Amino acid sequence: MATKIINKTVTEFSLRITRCFFVPSKTIQTNATLFQERLETSITNVEEQLPTTIRPPLPIIHSRKLAFPPKFKAPRQVWVSNMDTVEEEKLGLIDLHPEVFAERPRVDIIHENVRWQQLYRHVSYANTKMRYEVRGGGKKPRQQKGSGRSRHGSIRSPIWRGGGIVHGPRSPTPYFYMLGFNTRLNGLRSTLSAKLAQDDLHIVDSLDIPTDDPSYLEKLVEERGWGPAVLFVDDNDIMPLNITAASDSHGHYNLMPVYGLNVYSMLKHHTLVLTLAAVERLEERLLFHLNRNDAASAGQKYRLDSV
Amino acid sequence: MTSLLGSMISTLGMALRYRPLIGVSSQVSKANALFNPELTTVRFRYHADKVAKGPVPRRHGYEEKLFQSGLLPRKVSVDKALPMPTYKPKNSWNEKRALFGQNDYIDILGPSNEISQKTLHPTQLLYHVPPWLRGVQGNEYQVLLRRRKFVQKKGYALGHPTKWATLNTRIKKLYTYLNHKTKSPFWKHS
Repeated sequence: MATKIINKTVTEFSLRITRCFFVPSKTIQTNATLFQERLETSITNVEEQLPTTIRPPLPIIHSRKLAFPPKFKAPRQVWVSNMDTVEEEKLGLIDLHPEVFAERPRVDIIHENVRWQQLYRHVSYANTKMRYEVRGGGKKPRQQKGSGRSRHGSIRSPIWRGGGIVHGPRSPTPYFYMLGFNTRLNGLRSTLSAKLAQDDLHIVDSLDIPTDDPSYLEKLVEERGWGPAVLFVDDNDIMPLNITAASDSHGHYNLMPVYGLNVYSMLKHHTLVLTLAAVERLEERLLFHLNRNDAASAGQKYRLDSV
Repeated sequence: MTSLLGSMISTLGMALRYRPLIGVSSQVSKANALFNPELTTVRFRYHADKVAKGPVPRRHGYEEKLFQSGLLPRKVSVDKALPMPTYKPKNSWNEKRALFGQNDYIDILGPSNEISQKTLHPTQLLYHVPPWLRGVQGNEYQVLLRRRKFVQKKGYALGHPTKWATLNTRIKKLYTYLNHKTKSPFWKHS
């Protein structure tokens, strides 16, 4: 029963692609109304319209408790930035679990994961007809002996032009296979670790931005030196209105919930931006799977019609 | 001893040239350069510089037989180049391509039932694959058997008589071929 409910949520919300789905949150509405008031006075400069952000003395975010505290590895520390202003303001410093973000990146596992993602959903619909499927070819073209020409039984034999194909593609051909549970788990860990190690991972407090102007996001990404393509990951699959509207026109700024995260997307986008809530959720999930005591049942081979 | 050292130096002469040797003349200092923990080799040649100078030649010795330059094919009478489709680069960031692979790890990262620990499986999200083909891994014979199983209940034989006949013929032929003409895999022999 629970699984069915989850299924409905996923199909309704996440796969409709989150960047088109928005609900105005409480904090954003106040900024939006302010924005509207200023628009009425017909000021065209975006920077002038942004309300100044008033913050308590920094650092706001002090520490973070790690689940399954690491015994022999040091936690990695990262800055937590803001999305309120174009310029980066560091709100604090947090710890990241080394089992998730500081694993030695295994390039072969990453490759396996990318290959699996590309292939497991692929179905080839290429088809060729066999000699008995091609139209015609039931009659013997000429008598066996006497004509002086070669002997044939059918005009659709594979040696004839227009004849059937012997070992050609047969539709539909599925290329489905399931990669091992731990291989996929380690693929995620390797990719996250690689992203952090290569300075392509950034943490923000939340995805609330002051305007829905696409140029705000452009300027922000340009100012901070984030890659041309950025993947924003939040815990909830319903994203704030402003960032949804701002990123909608840009195909290379994409929003994703934590359950939608995958190796291919992380590699396709240059920069990965996680919210604090997303980090909590991601770590909780990955550490749960690493430390569960019924891992054998979870890592069992996939059986058809079992799910 | 010295001859051995001399042979070592001569064979490693190329390596020596690229090692930083300061004020070297005697064989002893050269021997030092062969193994000296204080010295280290420094990379100074990069493939990127070679590429920057110009295209790196590939397939040395291969002679291209297709025209690489000159006029495009055209009709002599009209003297106008044959129409070619205008090149339109693919949009790498359209919705489908930008979000490719989303939800593939939903069984790891998605919520799980607190009691049974059950999650959604990526095979449940293969909406663009026919329902009878989701999560199916097999050869043509196995796939066709599954197709027949799914299709025979819905009155497929009445609605698509030719396709039903083709399906059954194909299964029969594959049965004969696989069981009478081919050997079972080595791991099936006892």
